[in-house]
Amino acid sequence: MTFKAWIKTITFYDILVGMKVTMAHMLHYRPVTIQYPHEKRTLPDNYRGMLALLRYDDGTEKCVGCDLCEAACPSRVIRVISAEVPGEPTKRYSKEYYMDMTRCLFCGLCVDACPVDALGMTREFEWSVYDKRQLHLNKEQLLAIGDRSFPVREKQLELQHPNVAFFNVAFKHLPQKPG
Amino acid sequence: MTELSLRLAVTFAQILAEMSIVIITVATMTYFERKVLGWMQDRMGPMEVGPYGLLQPVADGIKLFFKEDIVPAGANKAMFALAPMLTMVVAMIGFAVIPFGPNITLDIYGVTIKPFVVADINIGVLYILAIASIGAYGIILGGWASNSKYSLLGGLRAAAQVISYELNVGLALVGVLLLAGTLSLVQITEAQAGGFWHWFIWGGRPNGFFPIHTQIFAFVVFIISAVAETNRIPFDLPEAESELVAGFFTEYSGMRFAFFVSAEYANMTLVSCVASALFLGGWNAPYPGTIFEYIGLEQLAWVEHIAWFAAKVYFFLFLFIWIRATLPRLRYDQLMRFGWKVMLPIALANIIITSITLYFFPRG
Repeated sequence: MTFKAWIKTITFYDILVGMKVTMAHMLHYRPVTIQYPHEKRTLPDNYRGMLALLRYDDGTEKCVGCDLCEAACPSRVIRVISAEVPGEPTKRYSKEYYMDMTRCLFCGLCVDACPVDALGMTREFEWSVYDKRQLHLNKEQLLAIGDRSFPVREKQLELQHPNVAFFNVAFKHLPQKPG
Repeated sequence: MTELSLRLAVTFAQILAEMSIVIITVATMTYFERKVLGWMQDRMGPMEVGPYGLLQPVADGIKLFFKEDIVPAGANKAMFALAPMLTMVVAMIGFAVIPFGPNITLDIYGVTIKPFVVADINIGVLYILAIASIGAYGIILGGWASNSKYSLLGGLRAAAQVISYELNVGLALVGVLLLAGTLSLVQITEAQAGGFWHWFIWGGRPNGFFPIHTQIFAFVVFIISAVAETNRIPFDLPEAESELVAGFFTEYSGMRFAFFVSAEYANMTLVSCVASALFLGGWNAPYPGTIFEYIGLEQLAWVEHIAWFAAKVYFFLFLFIWIRATLPRLRYDQLMRFGWKVMLPIALANIIITSITLYFFPRG
């Protein structure tokens, strides 16, 4: 042990250096804490929150009951019971639509799978409940979430511009047919 | 009869006042420990209950008071109930000999009382050492009576650690006792009056300028051993959270848990008081006399004395938190080697060197 190291040992040099660091952090008080219920962080643009069912601007449901979301879901969250639209044998809709959000892992595969963009991911994340059965959502609840999260709705498919009609991808910069 | 009852009433009032001060200090410490730890780790600490979380100790107290009191199956019920009481009571009664303020006497209807010390006994230091040793029994009993492996291991570690470091605490104090020539904390503090160079951490200037009686090594040994004896980080092996859940009080809940935690903070306050009284001059200001005396308010000098004592004690309490925020926990063999191979020889050498210097340069 050299003389310098010996001096450092008996004067607790290393410990004092560490204590200087903690004291410096206390004096330059810049907490990283976000006081969550009082202040909320800014969510990223592509945030994947609560799932919702969407409507067209005339209030009809987008969902055509094709079950592709159910097939795409890796956690078996979604259950669709499809039915014919009464009086219109060529059209179908989801008679019942259930989501068990206790199992959802918010991967967004169902949103990707939907051919008519009937599913959307909102920016809601405060879904803590006391009874987990409250997270077993039916169609009305999911439509309500969609209504409050997406106030701007798309037009019906046949009223949209022909270039974008097939997959109903909403290119906002393309001209839309007047309703 | 009337004199006895008056004496009893005055003593009970003193005890009540002193207990209140200690309890308030403990409550404040639970708040400021979390606050200061938060500040040092770039967090905020408690912020929800009251403004800036100031009512957090009250909320904690109410919560712990109404919590279920669980006695584990197979526990020794009598010992299980005794352990927290023993720890708490012992932590509280140690304060009886601590002088909070100057050694003035008051005459109330013919009864002479000392307002700032409950019991000025002539074996004060010995009393504190004895009481602190009984506190270890509470920890060991609590660990053993819980019928839990974690508790038992924590209790065993506490036994070994407290015995090892209690020795160093006692030996570190011997140098001060040699210098003061008394065991009474009041007289030890009085011997350090007249400026900070008379504090026993420097030991006065018997040989002109050089402070040859310096007790700074004993002071460092005392502070480190006091941290170890109160089971604080970095010596918190009896309650090592990541190894033993909560150590000796793993199985305790509700008010019994609160007793253990308050006893830990009360012990911290006690060793801070002892360190201030023995090494940093107790109630004495770092300059000779007091400012109130200079400006002609002799009757208010005790306010300044008490303020200086409180400042020293709270500095030590802050030091405890500061160390906790900085250092990681020692390994068990490191703890034992440090206690027996480093601290003990330094304390022993300090006794010998102080005796020799005191023989050749007696205090004037």
